[in-house]
Amino acid sequence: MSALGTALVFWPAAILMLVWGLYVFRTASMARAGLLLLGALGLEGLLFLALASQFLGVLMILMMSGEMIIMVFFMVMFMSDPGGLMGMDMTHDKRRSAALAAAIGIGLAVLAVATDWPGAVVSPDAPDVQAIGYEVMGRSMFSFLFAGVTILFAMVGGVLLAKEGGRLGLAEPGDGTSRRDERT
Amino acid sequence: MSAATPFAILLVALAGAGLVALLEQAVAGARLAPAAIGAAAARRLREPLTLPASYDGWLYHGAPLLLLLAAVAALATVPWTPGFRGIDLDSGAILFAAALAYVTPAVFMAGWGSGHPLAVVGGFRFVALMLGFAMPLAMVITAVAAPAESLRPADIVAIQAGVPMALVQPYSLALWLPAVMAVALMPPFDTATASEELAGGAFARYTGPEAAIVALAQRVLVLAVSGMTAALFLGGWHGPLLPDALWMVLKTLAVAALLLWAGRRLPRLETDRLLILAWKVAIPGSIAAIVLAALTTLLFYR
Repeated sequence: MSALGTALVFWPAAILMLVWGLYVFRTASMARAGLLLLGALGLEGLLFLALASQFLGVLMILMMSGEMIIMVFFMVMFMSDPGGLMGMDMTHDKRRSAALAAAIGIGLAVLAVATDWPGAVVSPDAPDVQAIGYEVMGRSMFSFLFAGVTILFAMVGGVLLAKEGGRLGLAEPGDGTSRRDERT
Repeated sequence: MSAATPFAILLVALAGAGLVALLEQAVAGARLAPAAIGAAAARRLREPLTLPASYDGWLYHGAPLLLLLAAVAALATVPWTPGFRGIDLDSGAILFAAALAYVTPAVFMAGWGSGHPLAVVGGFRFVALMLGFAMPLAMVITAVAAPAESLRPADIVAIQAGVPMALVQPYSLALWLPAVMAVALMPPFDTATASEELAGGAFARYTGPEAAIVALAQRVLVLAVSGMTAALFLGGWHGPLLPDALWMVLKTLAVAALLLWAGRRLPRLETDRLLILAWKVAIPGSIAAIVLAALTTLLFYR
C-alpha cells in the first residue's frame, strides 16, 4: 500500500479505536461495553493490516471476535444489571487510576518514538527469524501452555460458579448444602 | 486489486444474492419467479421502519450493517479467476474465517438490541453454536492449506489443477460443510434465527429496509461460503473446455444448491445436540484432519 493509503486507513482507524476504547468505560451496558471493546480491538487489527503486518492483523481480527463475545457472555453472567438500566459507573479510584494510565500511556509513546526501529524488512532466512522460532517453540512453550491451561481452568471455574446452584449444584431441599436453603 | 475491484465485488454480491434466492425457490419445488424476488425486496424497502418497544439503538441498528459487512468481506476473499481474486492477501483464507467470525457479534447485537426475551435467547443460542463450529472452520482451512503450503486461496486453487481437494481430503469437506452452514445461518443449524424457532429469534423484530439488509446479507453469506467451498475443495476455476470464470460460477451454484437442498431435507436439532455434534465430533475430527493433511502433504505433495 502507498504511504498515502496507509495514512488514510491508519489515522481514522486509530482515532476511532481510541474513541471506542474510551466509550467502553462510559457505558453502563455490559453488552455495549464488550462490543465496543471488540470494535476497538478489531480496528487495531485493521491498523496492523494498514502497516503491512498481514498475518498479525488478520489473526487479531479473527481472534478478538470470539474472545470479546465470550467476555460479553461472562459479563452478562456475573453482573446483576447487565443491560445497564440502573446506570453504573465502570471507573474506580478516578484520580489515581487516571494519573497511572496517563503515565503509562506517555511512557509507551516515548518508548515507541525513541526506539531505533530497523528500517528494512528482514528476509525470511535471516538468523533472527530462526532464533524467534526456536525461542517460541522451545523454552517459552512451557509458559504459553501454562498460561493457556490456567485460563481454561479459570473459565471452567467461572461457569461453575455462575450456574444456578453454584459449585455445590442443585441439592435436595433441606440438606443444607445449597444456596436455596440459605434463602429459605 | 484495482480501484474497480470493490465495485466488482459489490456487483457479484448483488447478482449472486439474486441467484441464491432463485435457487431457494428451485429447491423448494416452486416455479422460478425472478420478478417475485424483486417485488419482495421493493416491498420491504417501501415498508415503514417500525421499532421494537424497548431496544438498544446502537446495537439494534448496527447489527444488519455488521452482518452485511461480514458477508461482503467474506465474499471478497473468494478467488474467482486467476485475474479476479478480490482481496488477495497471503493469509486470505484466514481473512475469510475472520470475516465470518463477525456474523456472531452481528447476531448477538440483533438479539440483545431487540430487547425481546426470545430474541435475546436467539442471540445467545447463536453464540453458543458458533463457539463450537468456528473452530472446525478454522482448522479445516489449515488442513486444506497444508498441501499448498500457503494460506492464499488462489494458491490452494492452483495446487488442485490435477486432483480436487474434495477427493484428497473428503473428511475435511465433511467437517467443513456443517460448519459453513452454521455460520451462514442456514437450516438445519438456524435455531437462532428460523421463523419456526423462538418466534423468529434474533432478527424477528426487524422491519423495512433493515429486514431487507438482513435478508440480503444472509444470501451473500450463502454465496460466500459456497464460493469458498468451490475454491478450496472443488478445484476452483480448473476444468476442461469451459472458461475459468464459468467453471467457478457453476461450481459455486452447485454447492449453494446442495447446501440449500440439504437444509430443506435435514431435520433441525435442538441446540444442545448441535453443540454435542460440534464439540464431540467436529472438533476432535478436525484435529485428526490436520494430522492427516500433514501426512498427505509429506507423502504426496513433496
